[in-house]
Amino acid sequence: MKRASPRHPSALIASVPVFLFLVVPTAIVVPVAFNRSRYITFPPDQLSTEAISGFFGDPAWMSALLASLQASGIAVVVAVLLGGSAAVALHGRTFPGRAVVTGVIIAPMIVPAVVMALAFYQFFISVGMVGTVLPIGLAHAVISVPYAFLTVRAGLAGLNPALVRSASSLGAGAFSVMRFVYLPVIRPGLVAGALFAFSVSIDETVIALFLQSPSATTLPVKMFTDIQYNLTPKIAVSSAMLVTVATLGLLVQVCFTIRRRSIARLLPLTAAADQTG
Amino acid sequence: MKSPTPTPTTTPSTPAAAAGDERRGSIELRRVRKTYGNLAAVDDLDLTVRPGEFVTLLGPSGSGKTTTMMMVAGFEELTSGTVLIDGKPVDRLPPKDRNLGVVFQSYALFPHMSAAQNVEFPLRMRGVRAGERRKRAEEALARVGLAGLGDRRPRQMSGGQQQRVALARALVFNPAALLLDEPMAALDKRLREQMQDEVKTLQRALGISVLFVTHDQDEAMSMSDRIVVMRDGRIVQEGAPEDVYAHPRTDWVANFLGDTNLLPCKVLERKDGVAVVDLGSWGVGRVRDLGARGDTYAVSIRPEHLRFVDAERTENRATGRVLSSTSLGATIRHRLRVGEKDIVMRELSAGTRAGRGPDDEVSVGWTQDEAQLLVLEP
Repeated sequence: MKRASPRHPSALIASVPVFLFLVVPTAIVVPVAFNRSRYITFPPDQLSTEAISGFFGDPAWMSALLASLQASGIAVVVAVLLGGSAAVALHGRTFPGRAVVTGVIIAPMIVPAVVMALAFYQFFISVGMVGTVLPIGLAHAVISVPYAFLTVRAGLAGLNPALVRSASSLGAGAFSVMRFVYLPVIRPGLVAGALFAFSVSIDETVIALFLQSPSATTLPVKMFTDIQYNLTPKIAVSSAMLVTVATLGLLVQVCFTIRRRSIARLLPLTAAADQTG
Repeated sequence: MKSPTPTPTTTPSTPAAAAGDERRGSIELRRVRKTYGNLAAVDDLDLTVRPGEFVTLLGPSGSGKTTTMMMVAGFEELTSGTVLIDGKPVDRLPPKDRNLGVVFQSYALFPHMSAAQNVEFPLRMRGVRAGERRKRAEEALARVGLAGLGDRRPRQMSGGQQQRVALARALVFNPAALLLDEPMAALDKRLREQMQDEVKTLQRALGISVLFVTHDQDEAMSMSDRIVVMRDGRIVQEGAPEDVYAHPRTDWVANFLGDTNLLPCKVLERKDGVAVVDLGSWGVGRVRDLGARGDTYAVSIRPEHLRFVDAERTENRATGRVLSSTSLGATIRHRLRVGEKDIVMRELSAGTRAGRGPDDEVSVGWTQDEAQLLVLEP
């Protein structure tokens, strides 16, 4: 069966509208952020950076940005540590209930956000953790753990289990095994997991809304509350910023993948050239 | 790639000589057992590898040979029994403290490190300074014929080269003994034979004890000082390769180690290592006897131990008919019918008398020492 090559002109023509549909709404916020008007309008009638400097000069928006960065910082660190070590611990091990453990780790991906939000709200109230970014960061960590877990697990799939035994027979303790055997293999997975965790946390709104307080309002929550009574271009500025951050994150990941692929593509050739027995 | 010649110019403190202790380099297993649920993977195993000895655990898959090695290395816990290395019990020592060089079937080289870094790894774990590490790794690589290839990554090396790196890495820290888990299984036949010779030469030069695991009887025959044949978690026979081959105790061992003709017999008399047996239509003959006891007996004669004889000249002799003769190059394989029994014999092409064709009547004979009384396993 002959399949349409992705380079076929018709495939290209068909993909353009899809691409536009996906990208244009996101891209529109960027010019809006450069609008001079006091309201959100499109197309912008006069270009200026007034709204942007306004955004960075506004303490309320700045504290929202800081809260977001703090929450996602906590989420990234906790999720990578927990998800990564869970993946390493489960690697190459079989025991009854392994599937259940894996299911519990991945569950936050499937449970509806609003259900999680309510659960977190009740939990953090009952333990008296309110009014700071910490609960938001921890909640975001919970929903980010599956991403870190899955990306690290994907990296470990290619690991030869004999490497661990080999390292310990050569004198490596648990720490050295982690450093010399696991870490080089899972590093790309950790980076990917951290990027995922960051992007999950930075635009998470539902849980952050439930756990918000005047001293802990994240960027998306601030946008959501402002938009209801005060349609300033600062909202567009923060959206544009989120889009930029997400795009940068994606680019970093693409670079990682391309670099690894090109190395992998070169290696069999050099290995084949050396096949002299 | 250059043909590697292991040249141990700087005799790297041969384990046996380094310590005054005469048990340095020995591995002892005492009544070692390993059970998974009700299944005994290894059952009351007693085994000693003497310093400098090359001992092979030979058996089919599931015979417990790899489990045994993994218990020595410390990767599997013993259900009961004791393992001693250098004469000291190691049951409480983790693998990293057992000081054994292990080569795995997959070589298990660290893919993100160069060959030299791989070889330096065990020294690094032992806190050896970088300069000395580099020097010793270079020496070790040169010893396995890989001088100058230290900068390569494992993926840029052929299977044989990777195996040499694994070997250098397992030897560089002067381990008490070397454990080799089917290290040749992934190589093609020619390279495998070359590596067998090299490993054997290296082992002799270093005087290091080796515990080798394989299911390949040719490999076991060509490399070992002693073969330990395992089946179902137990040792069925052990001894020098040629002894085990020539004098199998059971039909299973005889068949596992090459081809043989099994002739069911009745034992008439056993005395001083010789048995007089009634072979039915083959008549009465004298064969070697190791004293193995069982319910039913047979005589095993290897195909190459049968030869054509003139009638009346040999004591152990039978008359039959040639069914077919096949040339295998260096040897010729004859299928014969003697009485009701089909047997196989093999003779060198070089000494063959011409003109023996199908249906010719022939006499075949064997000597007493080449025929072995053994127990037929139920």
